[in-house]
Amino acid sequence: MKILKLFRNWESALVGLLIAEVLLFGAITPSFLNLDNLFYSTNDFTHIMLAALPLTLVMITGGIDISVASMMGLSSVVLGVSWLSGINVFVAMGLALLVGVLAGMFNGVLVAYSDIQPLVITLGTLFLYSGLATGIAGMQGAESYEGISGLPTSFNNISHGSIGIVPYPLLIVLAFALILHITLTRTRFGRSLYLIGVNLRAARFSGIPVQRVIIGAYALSGFGAALAGVMLTSYFTSARSDLGGEALLPIITAVVLGGTSNLGGSGTIPGTLIASLVVGFLKQGLLAIGVTNDVSQVVIGSMLVIIVASKLGSAALNQTRVNRKALRASEESKGGVSPINR
Amino acid sequence: MNWNRILRNRELLVLFILLGMMAVIGAINPAFLQPASLKNMLDSSLILILIAIGEMFVILTRGIDVSVGAITGISAVILGTALNAGVSLPLAILLALLTGLLAGMINGAGVTFLRVPPIIMTLGSLGAFRGLMLIITEGSWIETIPQSIKSMAGAKLLGVSMFAWFTLALTVMVYILLKQVRTARYFYAVGDNENGAYLMGIPVRLTHFTAYSLAGLFAGLASVIFVAQIGFVPMSTGDGLEMRAIAAGVLGGINLAGGVGTPFSALVGGVFLTVIDSVLIYLKVPAFWNNAIAGGILLVVLWVDYRIRVALDQRQRRARAQMRLHRSVQVAIDAASKEAL
Repeated sequence: MKILKLFRNWESALVGLLIAEVLLFGAITPSFLNLDNLFYSTNDFTHIMLAALPLTLVMITGGIDISVASMMGLSSVVLGVSWLSGINVFVAMGLALLVGVLAGMFNGVLVAYSDIQPLVITLGTLFLYSGLATGIAGMQGAESYEGISGLPTSFNNISHGSIGIVPYPLLIVLAFALILHITLTRTRFGRSLYLIGVNLRAARFSGIPVQRVIIGAYALSGFGAALAGVMLTSYFTSARSDLGGEALLPIITAVVLGGTSNLGGSGTIPGTLIASLVVGFLKQGLLAIGVTNDVSQVVIGSMLVIIVASKLGSAALNQTRVNRKALRASEESKGGVSPINR
Repeated sequence: MNWNRILRNRELLVLFILLGMMAVIGAINPAFLQPASLKNMLDSSLILILIAIGEMFVILTRGIDVSVGAITGISAVILGTALNAGVSLPLAILLALLTGLLAGMINGAGVTFLRVPPIIMTLGSLGAFRGLMLIITEGSWIETIPQSIKSMAGAKLLGVSMFAWFTLALTVMVYILLKQVRTARYFYAVGDNENGAYLMGIPVRLTHFTAYSLAGLFAGLASVIFVAQIGFVPMSTGDGLEMRAIAAGVLGGINLAGGVGTPFSALVGGVFLTVIDSVLIYLKVPAFWNNAIAGGILLVVLWVDYRIRVALDQRQRRARAQMRLHRSVQVAIDAASKEAL
């Protein structure tokens, strides 16, 4: 009974899933359990976490942002090109983040000031930003497969250093997650996101600056994607326009697996954080036991569907049980005549 | 011509923009309007049009299918593998179509019976189908496709490829079916008001299921044209086509909120996006900017369409308010004159 209750809390179920997953892979290949390895392998998916965390905020409002996949490449190219033009690499990094925020705000403005679906708008900007990225990179004569390399070591070290066994990127992710979690649970802005997701009209009538809040959520999503792009650039030691293009499926999987409803109104940062670890370690674990990337795509895709389906199914079962209980209670209070039998 | 109607008709609006754009490009570089280059553009838009028509069924019912590109890929792989294994051409094509249909039915089953939200279901199957495709081929391209299917792409009638005729005919046929057949109207009814459709006795879940199956079938059809035109199956087959197909449909006026759109939306949008890809070549602009321009135009069209809708609605509301005012004034005058009598 107690286990059942624990599983009703989605985050704890995810933690259980994460531990089971790591132990399972560890049982097959013991080297997977090496803590050093385990922490180091997070480097391969920190960009997914960085983009998924703020996307949670957007999806809580009932929106979606699929342009994160191309904002990563855009920020990477902005960083590379501005560094090539002689700007200090850390200033260039700031510029890349600024571009990400602006790109996110552009999404937000379009969503907030029209009735066009967020999916369509960010589909348009997905093309727009990826085109801008390849365009800017192309102007520099840098072909996408080569990218802009030769970035200073001090910059590349951001992704390759660690404190103890915890790599810097993971620390950045944790700090970002903490800030977002506090924002979501402790600020007026964060609570407004939930109300907008549950009932946009009610949010408007209760005086919430709906448009500004929505723009803020998309701007944060842009910032997260740009940060992910910067970290990827540092990890691969070269700036490329196609960075992160493959990341859309795992990013959305992480957010949805984390318990965020795509209809808005629910979702938490710890949920997304743990879920992205589950997805990331799943990929790493499958690689470690010799499963190719192609098969792991099938596994991740099916997992997304199965978990969402079973979550919905169990919610429906619960509802039926609650309904039956209520029915029985009303039967008893009326002296045994069931409304169905009548 | 009634301006309101044209402005409200997105297919016509986009068609005018397209023709205007083509005229301008043709004035700058006459080579653009040569019959050969026009036919070329038409041929290369066919795959996108077919996928967009399939996607239309899903969007009409207020769903979304982001796996159609991957379905095209896996159908193409089945087609190529079957042909190389010595299966006859018609049977291989049938296999490709069945693959597409089956893949679509899997999506449909997930959405209707497991009740998984469409974007999640198809995002998951996108990964699964793409992975399967790589597993079947073990990651290598399928080359040395028999000449029999490649020659299909060369077949012509009145100088235009048979595939183009086929696609146009199919578009018209789907349009007529959607207009005239009662059960085909279910797609619109379900997308416009699902609860209402349910209460009217329309089989809502079956309609959803059919929509996803059709999207898969059309993706399978697109894979046949793909293999015939390209002559080999690279691993990137269908990559990103789902986004382009959705963009094409939306550009042509299919509304993601469901219930609005025709196959002509897919046709016009598909041709539009393909023309943009070729325009830059004729304007001697580097092709890097293709996506930026396609995305920019999509956003501008969406925004203009939104502003037009708001403006027309406001005008209508103002007209109605004025009418009501007139009527109440009339009533007051009548009452006053009666009193005077």
